[in-house]
Amino acid sequence: MGEPPKGTVTSLSSIYSPEDSQKASVRVQETISERQKEVQQLQTFLNDNTNLVNLVKKLPDQLHHDIMANHPHLDSFLISLTLISVPFGKAAFFPGKIIHTNEFLVLLGEGYYADRTSKQTIEILKRRGKDLESQIENLNAVIKDLKYEASFFIETATEAAEGVVEIREDYVDEFLDEEKEAPTEEEYSRILSRIDELEKEEMESEMAEEDEEKEEEEEEEKDKAELSDVLSRTHLEPKVISSEKHMGNEHLKSKESSNIKAPTSSATSNTLSRPIEQKKSEILPQRIVSKNEVSNSGSNMRNDSSQAFTGSIVERTHNTEKSQTSQPIAPPSKPVSRFKMQRK
Amino acid sequence: MASSSAATRELQKELEGKANDLSKIQKDISKNHQVRKKYTIQLGENELVLKELDLLSEDANVYKLIGPVLVKQDLAEANANVRKRIEYISAELKRLDSTLQDMEEKQNSKKEAIYKLQQRIQSLQAGKAKA
Repeated sequence: MGEPPKGTVTSLSSIYSPEDSQKASVRVQETISERQKEVQQLQTFLNDNTNLVNLVKKLPDQLHHDIMANHPHLDSFLISLTLISVPFGKAAFFPGKIIHTNEFLVLLGEGYYADRTSKQTIEILKRRGKDLESQIENLNAVIKDLKYEASFFIETATEAAEGVVEIREDYVDEFLDEEKEAPTEEEYSRILSRIDELEKEEMESEMAEEDEEKEEEEEEEKDKAELSDVLSRTHLEPKVISSEKHMGNEHLKSKESSNIKAPTSSATSNTLSRPIEQKKSEILPQRIVSKNEVSNSGSNMRNDSSQAFTGSIVERTHNTEKSQTSQPIAPPSKPVSRFKMQRK
Repeated sequence: MASSSAATRELQKELEGKANDLSKIQKDISKNHQVRKKYTIQLGENELVLKELDLLSEDANVYKLIGPVLVKQDLAEANANVRKRIEYISAELKRLDSTLQDMEEKQNSKKEAIYKLQQRIQSLQAGKAKA
């Protein structure tokens, strides 16, 4: 093809060094294990809570319980829950009985306690259990996210280590791709003629056949047409051009936005002002071809102007890329800019 | 030669000072994080208490643990207290947030300054190596 490279090739390892991504993945793994520990802790809280609920349910079944009697259900929870202070000091215990088995003093948190019955206590505990469950759920979601992150880091690390490269390329219409190999002026005009042909085909479908021959002549003429010639013609129909210009700008905008997706589009914005001019120069010749037929019917003209544009947009991308390498295209922009001044 | 080495020394001293400042700010930030964590936990607990207090019937006995003793409290009073506490904690959290933001800005500017200093030192040293 002999054309300058369309995109850039960067090896992934130059952007993300394998060691760094490895480190990052290790760090993410650490946070994951931390979160998992938290989840485990919450899980034990939840288990304690359900045990406590069972215990509180059973307590009021009897009028009193013997504490030292090694009751299967009664463990340390009981002591903290009931008012009987069976542990005496730090080291001493003495036998006691739990009475008022339906009276609980529940710690609500922050040093607040409330007198509650067994049923009310169970309700409180169940609410707490729900709270814990939601917390666990949240943490699990976080862990899931982190795991994805870790897998991404690991993937990047292995890819970088394997020497995977990243290829960035401006988005180019397929249409243009065939004509990509036409950086010189003659080929440029050939492209134009081809676009004209396509345009003509569309035209044919819309327009009466009568003008066809005329048009063909026109086209041939156009193939060699100098741009000054083009210019003088366009003066005849300033309105057509102005409508085209607006359309062109619109297309330009859409093109821009599509370029934004392509990472290397920064160049486009730099060369933006020039493409607009160049574009106009491209538009003009195309318009000329169809003018003869179009000028009689304004409505049709508007229709096909949009069609003519599909071609010209393609051209523009092409030019943006070439603008640094092939200057021959630049000259046409001059007469057009003069024309622009006249239009004002 | 001698002047350039003196300049490098001066720059190095400046760099050291900036680095110290930076580490101090970072310490403050981590402290801020810890305090914030504590407050968020307290806020959650208080909200839980408030929920439970709201669910209690009017005549329920509510106690507050003050030191080693349980003091009986009016439910309405306890409720108001908890609300006030929540308000306080929220305000405190907001304050901590703003200070944290402040500190992070400072940290960034310090980092930038340090980076610039390092570059200057490097260029100086490179110049010396050439000479």
